[in-house]
Amino acid sequence: MNENTRRTFLKAATTIPIIGGAVLAMHSILRYFKPTMVGGLDGLTAPPDMAPSPPQVAAEISDLQAPWACKDFIYVRNSVEYSSRKTQGAKIPGFVLRLPDEFVADKSDPKNFYLIVQRICPHLGCTFNFVPDHDALKGGYNYDAPQPFHPYFACPCHLSVYDPTHTQDIAGSVDGKAFDKLRGKVVSGPAPRPPRTMSFDIKDGKILITDTEGGGVG
Amino acid sequence: MAELAMTPKPGLFTRTAAFFRGLVAKRGAIGHWYHGVLDAPANLWGWLQDRWEKMDLFDESHTEKAKTVPWYALGGMWYWVWMLVIGSGVLLMIFYIPDTNQAFGSIERIMTNWKIGAFPIGSMARGLHKYGADAFIILATMRVYRIWFTGGYKGGHELSFMVALLILIVGMYSGLTGYLLIWNQRALWATKVMATFPTYLDKNPSWIPGGDFINATNQGKTTAQVLLGGTSIGPATVTRFYAFHFMLSFVLMIFFELRVYHRDFKRMNIGRWTKLIIFLIIMAVAIFIPAAQGSPANPEVTPNPILSDWYFLAMYQMLKLQDPYLATILTVGIPFIVIFALFMDRRPETKWGQRQIFNWIGIGGLIYFVLFSFLIINEIADIHRDPPLWYYSMGLFLLIGYFQDWAYVMKRDNKRWWETFHIFFVAFIAVSMVANTLYHYFGDIREHNVRAKEIVQQVMAAKGMTMDQAYSWLESNRPALNLWHTNEVVTATGKPHGMELWRLHAIAWLAIPALGFVVGMKRWGAKRDARQDAEAAKAKPKAAATAPAAQA
Repeated sequence: MNENTRRTFLKAATTIPIIGGAVLAMHSILRYFKPTMVGGLDGLTAPPDMAPSPPQVAAEISDLQAPWACKDFIYVRNSVEYSSRKTQGAKIPGFVLRLPDEFVADKSDPKNFYLIVQRICPHLGCTFNFVPDHDALKGGYNYDAPQPFHPYFACPCHLSVYDPTHTQDIAGSVDGKAFDKLRGKVVSGPAPRPPRTMSFDIKDGKILITDTEGGGVG
Repeated sequence: MAELAMTPKPGLFTRTAAFFRGLVAKRGAIGHWYHGVLDAPANLWGWLQDRWEKMDLFDESHTEKAKTVPWYALGGMWYWVWMLVIGSGVLLMIFYIPDTNQAFGSIERIMTNWKIGAFPIGSMARGLHKYGADAFIILATMRVYRIWFTGGYKGGHELSFMVALLILIVGMYSGLTGYLLIWNQRALWATKVMATFPTYLDKNPSWIPGGDFINATNQGKTTAQVLLGGTSIGPATVTRFYAFHFMLSFVLMIFFELRVYHRDFKRMNIGRWTKLIIFLIIMAVAIFIPAAQGSPANPEVTPNPILSDWYFLAMYQMLKLQDPYLATILTVGIPFIVIFALFMDRRPETKWGQRQIFNWIGIGGLIYFVLFSFLIINEIADIHRDPPLWYYSMGLFLLIGYFQDWAYVMKRDNKRWWETFHIFFVAFIAVSMVANTLYHYFGDIREHNVRAKEIVQQVMAAKGMTMDQAYSWLESNRPALNLWHTNEVVTATGKPHGMELWRLHAIAWLAIPALGFVVGMKRWGAKRDARQDAEAAKAKPKAAATAPAAQA
């Protein structure tokens, strides 16, 4: 390599533009690999470009009068797609859970009686279940819950169990509002945090989902 | 003396410069390291060229051995099975429709409608593809183990081993991309897990140098979205996986065929009867156990229990037992750990009894693979009970191998005892075993304490009891809760006892090898100095003989 520095230099001087051209050519292909990204080179590392998703009805309040009443729903979250389809909707399954009065600290706000979570397990993305039965939880999800029993959320894939009556310290934000604690403490299994949240409003006896916490594969 | 008096004493700068020049002279630990780094690219290139020449793709250099020892025919058998899978895959490709609405139905049609008379051609083709793929993975795994247990990677065959490992990994990824195409429940949830799994690459703890920077580049999320073609599993995912499914085989095949073209060797070192028997075995399995289809994918319901394909079961169980970040790093790292272990096997011995540590690494891997799969299939795995047993047995296997190896070396040549005295290896195993077990139990105690505190406070409020009364009430009513009833423990609840598992691992994995590296470099430098001195003495016997005299 040191024998002929002039030749080495000329080789390098011609190789670098060729490699650069190849990278530019590849970029036009690679860019299309990630269809939901913003344009330019930033796109390869940017999070998906979000399109507005209208508020969607999750449940009727009249269906959620009994303590531990639980309803499931699907929320469609849109992201921009740079293809002929223009947008892509990811279906986010969710749960609305009516908490019993003894687990609600601040009873002045009616929203505090409802726990709304995304059903996508924050561990590796399976759809978790609402388990109201002690034996089902012990047999199917490998968690022997303490007495007195109350229902849990539990995921069939890697057996994470979430306790809806307890909070866990975790920082984040939904819809611009910051939170430092989330309901759904992980009591068993490998999940790193409680289920992802959704922000909601109560209007005309209906629960309306306004926004969702990001992350997770729909 | 007169001359010395005339020379002025060198200044501080000159002496400092001389000191640093001495450090980077081609002697001593630092000098060897420095010149080693400078020479590394050239040496690495030479090393690679040598290994490239010796590289073995389908056991083609063992053609003579394969006639008597069937273990050496595994490469040829694997290649034959691969060809069967590609052939049947091309047949299936004609009738399969890669779309979420039609994929499941198109496979149903292939299985039921495609017949000649009563003979189910479609079922045969799919059986050949599915069970052929299983045979591919079994044969590729056996071949990796054959090379491992016979020390086949020694004598410059490291690349052969890596290619065998690459074949196995490509086979497993082909399986994963292939079974999404069926669009059944197992496929959907396996893909979900596989696509979510890279997102943990964005969750590096910030104390790792550059961790926050890596997280900010969103590489994990980008990987997930590139795999899925969006933010969720949908039609784009199916076409992408369809493309990846071909691409894996095509890229590997082009690479192999180029090699065959340049070297001109026989691809399969097996006879035509062996080929026919392999084909008939796979066909027989396909006839007696038609390939299963499961139920159509439903993204809204995860069935319980849900299992992956058989070759991922052990890893699936591993994911349940660990913190997901650590599990991701470990799973991605398994092939690299294996290759690292290969380079640790420095001695030339290839016989079974003479390299016990590496045998035990292989046996351990096999045992965990079989045991985890067995436990999960029969639903007797328990994520709270199993982990300490697993940590202990892993450390135990390595320690048994280590002491067997030490015994062998002492017997062979007890003057070279340090060849096996890997104090850092033993230290690492010990730290790991203790750390894992402590974390498991103390982690549990921490959980119990937090819960104890909460329950006791509820009882105190509800019944108007003091803390001691509440504890004894709980103790008599629910002894199974395993509560600690000293006030000190209760007041300390909520704070983690000791360090977390991954911190201990990070310390063990980084600090112990770093220490080993420093000590090893020092000893290696001293050895090379001694060798160079000996060579110099041999080359110039007179100079060497006169040098001590001059000093004296």
